[in-house]
Amino acid sequence: MAYFQTAKQAASLLTLALCLVAVPFVTNDFRAYQLGTYLLYGVVAQGVALVWGRLGFLPLGQALFFGLGAYVAGLLFIHAQDNALLYLLLPLSILVPALLAYLVARLVFAGQYVSGPDFSLITLALTMLGAQLANQFTGLTGGFNGLANIPQLGDLDRYSSMYFLIVALVLFSTALLSWLYQTPLGTLWLAISQNENRLQFFGFATDKLKAGAFALSAALAGSAGFLYAAQQGLVTPQAIGFQLSAELVIWTAVGGRFGPYGALLGAVGIGLLSSDLREIWVHWEVLVALLFIAVVLYFPGGMAHLLLNAYQFINRRSGTHVPVYAVAPKTPGLRAPPLQSCGGDSGPVHLRFDNVSVQRNEVSILNGLSLAVEHAGVYCLIGPNGAGKTSSFNVLTGRLARTSGDIFLDSQRVTGHRADVMARAGVGRKFQIPSVFNGLSVTDNLRIALWSNRAQARQLLESTTRQWRTDMLDFLENTFTFLADQADKPAGELSQGQRQMLELSMTLLAEPRLLLLDEPCAGLSTAETQQQIEVIVQAVSRLGSTALVIEHDMAAVQRLSNEVFVLHQGQLLANGTLKQMQESPLVQAVYAGGQK
Amino acid sequence: MDSSTITLLLNLVYHVLVLSLVALGLGMVFGMLGVMNMAQGEFLTLGAYAMVVAQRMQIAAGWGILMAILVTATLGYLIERWLVRPLQTRPLDTLLATWGLSLLVRKGIEAVFGRQYQNITQQIGGSTQIFSVDYPSYRLALMLAIVCGLLMLGLWYKHSTAGTRLKASVANPVLAQAIGIDVKRQACMAFVCGVACTGLAGALLAPLVRVEPLMGMDYLLGSFFVLVVGGLGSLSGLFAGAGIIGSTQVLVSTMLDQTYGYLAVLTLSIGFLWLRPHGLLSNR
Amino acid sequence: MKRRSFIQNSLALGSLVGADLLLPHLAFAASPVKVGLMIPMSGPAGLFGPSSKNCGELAVAEINARGGLAGRPIELIISDAGVPPAEASQGALKLWKGQQVEAFVGMHDSAVRGALVGVFKGQVPYIYTSTYEGGECSPGTQVLAETPTQQLEPVIPWLSKERKLKNWYLIGNDYNWPRDTNAKAKQYIASAGGKVVGEEYLPFTTDNFDANLAKIKASGADAVLITLVGGASVGFNRAFASFGLADKVTRLGTLIEENTLGGIGMQNAANLYSSSGYFASIDTPAAIDFAKRYGAKFGAQAPALNALAQSVYDGFLLLEAMAKKSGSMDPKKMETAAEGIRFSSPRGDTTMHQRHGKKDIYLAKAEGNGFKVVKVFKQVDAGKNCKA
Repeated sequence: MAYFQTAKQAASLLTLALCLVAVPFVTNDFRAYQLGTYLLYGVVAQGVALVWGRLGFLPLGQALFFGLGAYVAGLLFIHAQDNALLYLLLPLSILVPALLAYLVARLVFAGQYVSGPDFSLITLALTMLGAQLANQFTGLTGGFNGLANIPQLGDLDRYSSMYFLIVALVLFSTALLSWLYQTPLGTLWLAISQNENRLQFFGFATDKLKAGAFALSAALAGSAGFLYAAQQGLVTPQAIGFQLSAELVIWTAVGGRFGPYGALLGAVGIGLLSSDLREIWVHWEVLVALLFIAVVLYFPGGMAHLLLNAYQFINRRSGTHVPVYAVAPKTPGLRAPPLQSCGGDSGPVHLRFDNVSVQRNEVSILNGLSLAVEHAGVYCLIGPNGAGKTSSFNVLTGRLARTSGDIFLDSQRVTGHRADVMARAGVGRKFQIPSVFNGLSVTDNLRIALWSNRAQARQLLESTTRQWRTDMLDFLENTFTFLADQADKPAGELSQGQRQMLELSMTLLAEPRLLLLDEPCAGLSTAETQQQIEVIVQAVSRLGSTALVIEHDMAAVQRLSNEVFVLHQGQLLANGTLKQMQESPLVQAVYAGGQK
Repeated sequence: MDSSTITLLLNLVYHVLVLSLVALGLGMVFGMLGVMNMAQGEFLTLGAYAMVVAQRMQIAAGWGILMAILVTATLGYLIERWLVRPLQTRPLDTLLATWGLSLLVRKGIEAVFGRQYQNITQQIGGSTQIFSVDYPSYRLALMLAIVCGLLMLGLWYKHSTAGTRLKASVANPVLAQAIGIDVKRQACMAFVCGVACTGLAGALLAPLVRVEPLMGMDYLLGSFFVLVVGGLGSLSGLFAGAGIIGSTQVLVSTMLDQTYGYLAVLTLSIGFLWLRPHGLLSNR
Repeated sequence: MKRRSFIQNSLALGSLVGADLLLPHLAFAASPVKVGLMIPMSGPAGLFGPSSKNCGELAVAEINARGGLAGRPIELIISDAGVPPAEASQGALKLWKGQQVEAFVGMHDSAVRGALVGVFKGQVPYIYTSTYEGGECSPGTQVLAETPTQQLEPVIPWLSKERKLKNWYLIGNDYNWPRDTNAKAKQYIASAGGKVVGEEYLPFTTDNFDANLAKIKASGADAVLITLVGGASVGFNRAFASFGLADKVTRLGTLIEENTLGGIGMQNAANLYSSSGYFASIDTPAAIDFAKRYGAKFGAQAPALNALAQSVYDGFLLLEAMAKKSGSMDPKKMETAAEGIRFSSPRGDTTMHQRHGKKDIYLAKAEGNGFKVVKVFKQVDAGKNCKA
C-alpha cells in the first residue's frame, strides 16, 4: 500500500482526465457511451474498494445502493416532467442510499470490534431483498420490465454529451478518494483494517468510522446510479440485485482493491472487455474466473498493483528511486493542540473495583474483586497464572462482561463501558502481546497515538495534523532511538522487543490518566527491560498519571513501584508494599502452591 | 386432524429434513472449519449429475450415489489441498477463491452435459398411505433415510474417539496439535466429508428437483441462512436453523403466498445475522 | 460433439461457398445487408441459445440461396440478449451504430424488448419472435410472438369440452407475462363455462412448490394453467406428478416446450398439454422437411428444435417477405410493407396485421417420447393489441 504525494496525485488525475476526455474523439460516440456505463460501474467499484481494500470489510451487496439511487433518480426524472419542483429532490438519490448504508453499518457493527462474515452476508441478503421488492412493486418500479422512458438529463444527449458529465463524476470521486486516502483519516481507515481492536483503545469509535466510510461508498454508488438512470433511460431490478453486486466484487478484486484507480481499471477493463469478448470467445468467462482465483491467491493487489510494481521496477532500473513509503518532508513539527478532556477531573485518577464478579458457565474468572487506587504513581498487579489480572483489565475496558459488581472511575460508574469510551475517559492500555498496526510505518503508529483524544474531526482531514509533535514524543524518541531511526519501517518488521517498546510509546503518547500495562517487559532482554522500566517510571511521573502494571518479574516490580496488589483466583488476596507481600505467609503459600 | 393439515405437517417435516441434509455439508465446512465455501452448491450439482451419468449408463441408482460421493470427495480433496489450505488465514479470500471455482465447475458441467434440463427417474415411485393421506413414497423413504443418517452421525460425533478428535481440532487447533492430533488431516477429512455429504444430497434429491448446471446457487444461499440462524458448529444448531427457516417458509407460503414466504426467510436471516450473529445454538 | 459438428459445419460452409462461387455472380453483386440476431446465449434462458443460433443460421443460408433480402445477401451478426437489459441494449447499439446493422430479429424476454424498443425508436426494423404478453405497438416493431389470445382463446374452450374441465387454477411467476396471460385467460374460462378457483404468482427463486400443490388439491381444481418459466416450470411439474395430481388434474401450459418437457420427464407428464405455434413433432410436410433440413445442416446431435428457436427462423422469413414487398431495407418502407404480408413457414401460414401475426396454433399433449399434436387451430388472430 503506497501513499502518493500530492504532486503525484495531481499528475495521475490529470492523466486520467485527458485519457477519458479523449475517448469520444479518438474512437466514436458509441464507444464513449459504452465506456460511460462501465465508468459508472467503476465509481461504484471505487466504493467497494474503499470499504474492502481500505477498511477491511467486504460488501457483497453494493448494487443495492447503486440501484436504489438509479430508481429514485429515475422516478424523479419521470415525474419532474409534470412538476419541475421535483428536480429539487434529486439529491435524495445520493442521500437515501447513504443513509441506509450508515444505518445498516451502525446497527451491524455496534459493539463489535472485529468485522466478520455476517456483515457480508447481511449485505447479500439485503440486495436479494431489494431485487425482490423491485420486482414486486410493479406500480412503483415497473417490476420485472423495469422503470422505462426515463427522460434525458436536461440538454445532455445520452449518446454524446452525457459522457462528459460521467467523466466529471469519475474525476470527482477519484480525486476525493485519493485525497481522503492520504489524510490522517485515511491512515485511520487502514488502521481499522489491520487492528481494529487496538484502534478502539485509542478512543476512536471504529463503528462510526466504518459506518461513515460505508455511507460514503453508498453515496458514490447512488450518484453513479443517478447518472445511470439518465444515461440508460431504463432501470431494471438487475441494477439492484446480486449478479451485479458479485461482478462489482470481481472487478474490484481483479483491478485492484487498494486504490480508486484499481477499481476503475477493473470495472472498465474486465467489464467492458467482457461485453466485447464474451461473444467472440466462448471461454472468456472461464478465463475471468481463473484470473480471479489467481488474483485472490497470489496477487491480492490486483492488476493495479502489478502495474504499479512494474512501473516502480522500470523506474528503479532507470535510476529513479521510488520509495515505497513516501518519506514525508522533514519539516519542523507543529506543536500539537492540547488533549480533549472528556469531562473528567484533572487530578489523579480514582479507580475502584467494587466486588466485581465474572462467571462463565461454571468458571469464575473474577470472584468478587475489590480494589481501589487513589493516588498517582505506579502500582503492580501480581499473582499466579489465572488469577484474573488480565481479566480485570478486560472487564475495566469493556472487553469482558461482568456478572455482578461495579467499577468506578473518578466516582463515575463505568461498568460495561466500551473500550473506546474508556479510552476517551483517559484510560490507556498496553497489551501483553504487542498489538500495533503492523502494516503502517512506525511513524504512522505513533501519529495515531498522538491523534488519540486530541484530533478533532476537521483536523483528521488536514495534512498538517501529521506534523504534530509533543514533549512526550521528543522524550520517547530520545530514549527509544529506533523510533526516529526506523521511522519508515512497517511496524510488522520490527523485532518483538522493538514492538513492545513501540506499543508502550504509543500508549504513553496518548497521555492517559490511567495506564494499564500488561507485562510490558515480556520478551525483552535484561538491558531492554531496564530501559522499559525507566521509561515507564519517568513517563508516569511526567504525566502525573496512575499506572497499573501486571508483572511477573519481581526485580521489575521492585524497581517500578512500592505498592503491590496480589490477585488470586479472581480476588484480591492482599495488598501493600512489595516487602510486606514477600513476607506474607498467605502470599507465599499461594505462590508456592501450598494453599488453594 | 384433516388430511390437508396432515399433508402440511408432512411437507413441513420433509422440507426441514431436506434443508438439514443440504446444509449438513456446509455446516461441516463453514460451521466447523470456518471455510466460506461458495462452491458448495456446485458439489450438490455434481452429485445430481452423477445420477445423470448412472442413468445414461443404465446402471443401478446405488452406483450413481456411490459415484456422487467419490467424485465430490476427490474434487473436495484437491480443493482443500490447493485452494483452501493456502488461504486458511484469510476467510474473505477463501470466499472469493471458491466463488471463482464455482464458476469453473458450472462451466465444466455445461461443457460436458449442456445447459438443458436433465430428468432423473425416481427409484421408488408412487405414493404410500400414511396417516390416511397419500404421500409420495420416494419422499417418505428419503425422510426416513435422512433421519437415520443424522441420528447415526450425531451418535458417532458424540461418542466415538474420531468424533472427539475432530471436536478437539475444531475447538482448539493449537492445543490439539500439541497433544498429537494431526489437525491438518482432521481439517482435510472434515472438508472432504462436508462436500461429499452435499454431493450425496444432490444425488438423493436429483429425482425430485430440476437438474441443470445452475441449480446449485439457490441451495448455497439457503444453506448459509440455515446455518446463520441455527448456529455454527453443531448438529443441533443445524437442525434448529433448518427447523426455523423451513417452518417459516412452509407456513408463510401456505398461509399467505410464496412471495411472503421468501421475504420472511430473508428478513429472518437478516434479523439473526444482525442480532445473534452466532446463531441460536452456537458452539463457537 | 465438437469435432463432428465442426466438420459438418465446415462441410456445410464449404458447400455454401462452393455454391456461392458456382452461382452467377450477378445475384450477389449488391453489398451484404447485416442483420442482428438478439438471442440469449447466457443467463437463465441461455439454454435456448444454441438452437436459436442454428435456426438463424439455417434461415440465413436458405434466404441467401434464394437471393437474399431485396437482392442483397444477409450477413448474420449475433448478440447476447441473455444479459441484463442495459447490456443487451448496448450490444444492440453496437451492432446498429457500430456495425451498420440494418434490421434486427429478437428472441428474448420482455424486459430486453422494452430496452431495445427504447433504443431503436422505430429507426430500424425489429422483429420480435418469442411468446409474450401482447400489447407491443412501438413503431418499427413487428411481432411474430404468440399472444395469450392466440394461445388460449380457441384452446381453453376446446380443452374444457374435451376433458370436461370446470375449475381452473392459475399459477405463474410474478411478472407481467403471467399476469397479462391470466387476465385474458379468465375471460376465456368464463365464456367456456368454467370457474377460476385459485390464482398465484411466485417469485423466480421458488423451488419448493408443496404449498401451492396443497392449495391446488384443496381448491378442487381439475385444471391448472401454468405460466411458470424455466426451472420453476420443471420443478413444479415434477412435484405435481409426484403427489399423484397428474391423473386427476389436467395441466395446460403456454411456454412448455421440448427442453422443459425433457426436464419434467415423460413419467411426470401425464395429462400435460401445451399450446404453442410450433412443436418439433408437427407432421405437416413443411414442418417435416424443415426438421430434415435442420438435421442435415447441424447433425443428429444438434440441440433439439423447439418453438422458441424455430420462431427465429420464422422471423427471418418475415424479414425476407418484408424486404421483397418493399424492395429495400428502408425502415419506413418496411414498416408500411409489413401490413398484410402473408408468408409460409414450417408452422404453416402467417398473415401480418397490426404488427402481429395471425397464425396456426397447435395444442399438443405429452405422450410417448415427447409432444403429440392433438388439435390444430388454424389462422388464429392475435387479438386487439394496437389501435389501428
